[in-house]
Amino acid sequence: MAKPRVAFFEFSDCEGCQLCALDLTPEQLLDLVSVVDIVEFREAMTEKAGALDDHGDGTDSIDVAFIEGSINRESDVARLKRIRERASIVVALGACAHIGGINALKNFQSEEEYRKAAYPTDPYKYESTTAKAIGEFIKVDAVIPGCPIDTGEFLHVVKDLLVGHKPQVPDYPVCVECKLKENGCVYEKGMHCLGPVTRAGCGARCPSNGGYCYGCRGLISKPNIASQQDIMQKYNLNEDEMLSKFKMFLQRSKEVFPDDK
Amino acid sequence: MPYVYHIKQHSKNRLQKISASENLSMFKQRRIVIMTAETLLISKQRLISSMDAAKSNYRIAALTKTNDDRYVYDYIGKGDDIEFEYHPTVIPPKKFLFLSKETLFEFSDDGKIKSELETTPTILFGIRPCDLNAIKILNEAFADHHGDPNYLARLEKTLVIGMECTKVCDEHAFCYRTGSQNAKGGYDIMLYPDGDNFAVKSVTDKGKKFVTKYLTKHTANIGADDFINEVLKKKEQAFSKEKLFPNLDKMPEIFAANSHHPIWEQEGSKCLSCGSCIMTCPTCYCFDVRDEVALNMQHGKRQRVWDGCMLDTFAVVAGGANFRGSQTDRLHHRINRKFNWLVHKHGQSVCVGCGRCVRACLAKISPKTIGDAILADAKLATATVDVPLDAHKADRDLYLPMPAKIVACESFTEQEKHFKLELENGKSLGHDAGQFVQISILGVGEAPISLASPPDNTPTFDICVRKVGDVTNKLHTMNVGDTVHVRGPFGHGFTPEIMEKMRGKHLLFIAGGIGYVPLRSLINQVVANQHDYEKITILYGCKTPSERMFPKELSHLAKIGGKISIAETVDQAEEGWTGNVGVITTLIPPIDLDPTNTIAVIVGPPIMYKFVLKSLTDKHITADNIYVSLERRMKCGVGKCGHCQMSGIYVCQDGPVFKYADIKDNEEVF
Ligand code: SF4
Ligand code: SF4
Ligand code: SF4
Ligand code: SF4
Ligand code: SF4
Ligand code: FES
Repeated sequence: MAKPRVAFFEFSDCEGCQLCALDLTPEQLLDLVSVVDIVEFREAMTEKAGALDDHGDGTDSIDVAFIEGSINRESDVARLKRIRERASIVVALGACAHIGGINALKNFQSEEEYRKAAYPTDPYKYESTTAKAIGEFIKVDAVIPGCPIDTGEFLHVVKDLLVGHKPQVPDYPVCVECKLKENGCVYEKGMHCLGPVTRAGCGARCPSNGGYCYGCRGLISKPNIASQQDIMQKYNLNEDEMLSKFKMFLQRSKEVFPDDK
Repeated sequence: MPYVYHIKQHSKNRLQKISASENLSMFKQRRIVIMTAETLLISKQRLISSMDAAKSNYRIAALTKTNDDRYVYDYIGKGDDIEFEYHPTVIPPKKFLFLSKETLFEFSDDGKIKSELETTPTILFGIRPCDLNAIKILNEAFADHHGDPNYLARLEKTLVIGMECTKVCDEHAFCYRTGSQNAKGGYDIMLYPDGDNFAVKSVTDKGKKFVTKYLTKHTANIGADDFINEVLKKKEQAFSKEKLFPNLDKMPEIFAANSHHPIWEQEGSKCLSCGSCIMTCPTCYCFDVRDEVALNMQHGKRQRVWDGCMLDTFAVVAGGANFRGSQTDRLHHRINRKFNWLVHKHGQSVCVGCGRCVRACLAKISPKTIGDAILADAKLATATVDVPLDAHKADRDLYLPMPAKIVACESFTEQEKHFKLELENGKSLGHDAGQFVQISILGVGEAPISLASPPDNTPTFDICVRKVGDVTNKLHTMNVGDTVHVRGPFGHGFTPEIMEKMRGKHLLFIAGGIGYVPLRSLINQVVANQHDYEKITILYGCKTPSERMFPKELSHLAKIGGKISIAETVDQAEEGWTGNVGVITTLIPPIDLDPTNTIAVIVGPPIMYKFVLKSLTDKHITADNIYVSLERRMKCGVGKCGHCQMSGIYVCQDGPVFKYADIKDNEEVF
């Protein structure tokens, strides 16, 4: 059987997730390249095989495209669609691609505000619109959530794709993993955590390490936002503070910010 | 109610008489402390050094404090690590017997399967009564009907040393509500603490051997009985202010009568489906099963991980239907497992009031609140069907599938493909019509599939597979010569008793869509023996003509005539379809039948049942003469994982074939 052709692409992001994807032991790396062909990967390769298009991407068909980053420019949309056409399977890699990520924080500002903040001297020199997730433009077959992603979960998704499994990321909240780690709940320590509505899979990384969940993996499919708000209120969070909790990663989530652009 | 303790030295004979004569009923707040074992006294220091001595032969798990000041049950390095004062833990000691993640077997790409069971002798030290009751419940659940090999192997290697509580551990605990502050079992040895001294009493042979080997040399047994007496008296005092649930002994009946009590919606609407309650509960034992392959794709393992009914997707079947789609439905299910469905089976409340779920729930949903609200209402109903405990020894092969070769296959539609499989061991599957098998593709997973061929003595059998999930998608790519793996047959099908009841009757088969498959084995069986029946009527409805299963067979059946008649309908016609168009219920009124001599069998999608059942009732067919085969999510197939459960019934074990009369009052069915 021919090895599946795999490629990585990035849009607006910090490239941290691609780094995480390749943060492998030498054995893992060898195993990985023995089962897949990485054909495009700017982070890790200098050469691309075959002809290039005007975005600098290849033109051959690919089996799996891992796409990192949110979409912030009209021109990105065309490139994104081109990748979709080339790929049998598209995987959103990391929070930016999956839910707009930190980039989507700017959507709470006016266009003028965020342009000035980013390019103080010449705010209108570059293209920049509302930050959106890739799934708002193209069909996404699987996601690897998180900011940054978890290397183990990346490998998991790769294996799922190889055996012909629909890649499964948990659809239950972070609390499940937090309890399995036998953590005391951070609400009892005066912190406010989005664990009860956030998709698990990170191993409750933040509450297990002295912090609280920011929701970087996005919401579960059926979050009870009203109850989450009641709880934060009961634990003395006022309306504004509550809102800023949700703003961090969940700007593109209709359950929290329904009437958004 | 005051707690009365009977503490007496009894001979073994006398004890046997007592247990036979006295009704040791589940909620009797009376304890017979069995005094045949040697009781003795020991100081804390000596107890600790005995544990240090035992460490050379056992690994010991006990309550300890972590560096960041959390209390957890963990394996200890030395006896001094043990915390003797109880502080509630997030996760109960169940985790040592039923691991949060464990391997059922390993496989390699050549199809070889191997499994290993636990062999390390382990001590669980200082387990409190609530958790001991929970261990007793798990011991029974994992041995019920089929012996779970992994759990029972571990249990056999484990010695449980309990420790009495002398006060209520915190404001969230409510063991006293469910009568669980006294251990009804689940331990080998009990410690009765008083300051820095302990009385030790062993109640099993395993416990006695351990005591003799590790504890006796440091101890005195004079006065031990009085010591225990004193400890229990103090305990009784400390708990005297706390009350049992009202009507505790009628819990199942009252819960059965209160499925529509407002408390369900009131508490359920707050629920976040966060799963904290089920992760921390000592008596939750549901699990999910997943295959994990190595990155080099050459080997892998099938694992089970904790799962639970409060999570949104727990009861979702491959086709996408969720049988408990709301938080309220799920809360009702979880609490009814604890306070209703499983109570008779275990002879005690299955919530042991440890308070873990209450501490963990940010929405502050508590079984205590729900119990108090519902049990105050003394309205009674007949409790749901009670299937008694049926203890079995460990079945080494319970989760190990057998290889089977595809010897024939044919695609019926885009979605449905038919396979003939042959077991490599050359044996016959030995199934009844209506049973199912679990088909494995190693690395992908396992899926329940109905058997489509009638029972026979050959090593081959038929399945018909609809593409709805990973396993079935993969199966569709497989062909003659390929190997799959099989477990089963499972469940309750059309048993010889049911077949006997059908003799001489007019049989009315009503199938919708792929529901024809589980019926096909039965239809073929009765058509082959048609002289045994008065009449055979087959009604078959599909969405479109191209979804019809076994089309050749259907036209063959239509041609036989005589006492066999078949009527078909589709929801939407396609080109070339000249038959009926309309829902399946339109086929029922015209049938000429004598309701006293008719038996109806229905299999189809969930939505179909309600309407078909109504039409049959209109025809005066009684619930005793209707059989249904139900679909639920299934993982284990053997009554363990909880996925298929509806109102205390395991569809994988007690079904999928049910007499309608047996389940019609069961609120989670349709
Ligand atoms: S700390 Fe956060 S994730 Fe952990 S249990 Fe509490 S709310 Fe859930
Ligand atoms: S705990 Fe929350 S914020 Fe932290 S990694 Fe996990 S999902 Fe992201
Ligand atoms: S819940 Fe009851 S039995 Fe369990 S530790 Fe607390 S006081 Fe003891
Ligand atoms: S812990 Fe509470 S909120 Fe979470 S699932 Fe359980 S009942 Fe619902
Ligand atoms: S339901 Fe709650 S209180 Fe009852 S045994 Fe489970 S965790 Fe403990
Ligand atoms: S209990 Fe596991 S499938 Fe029924």
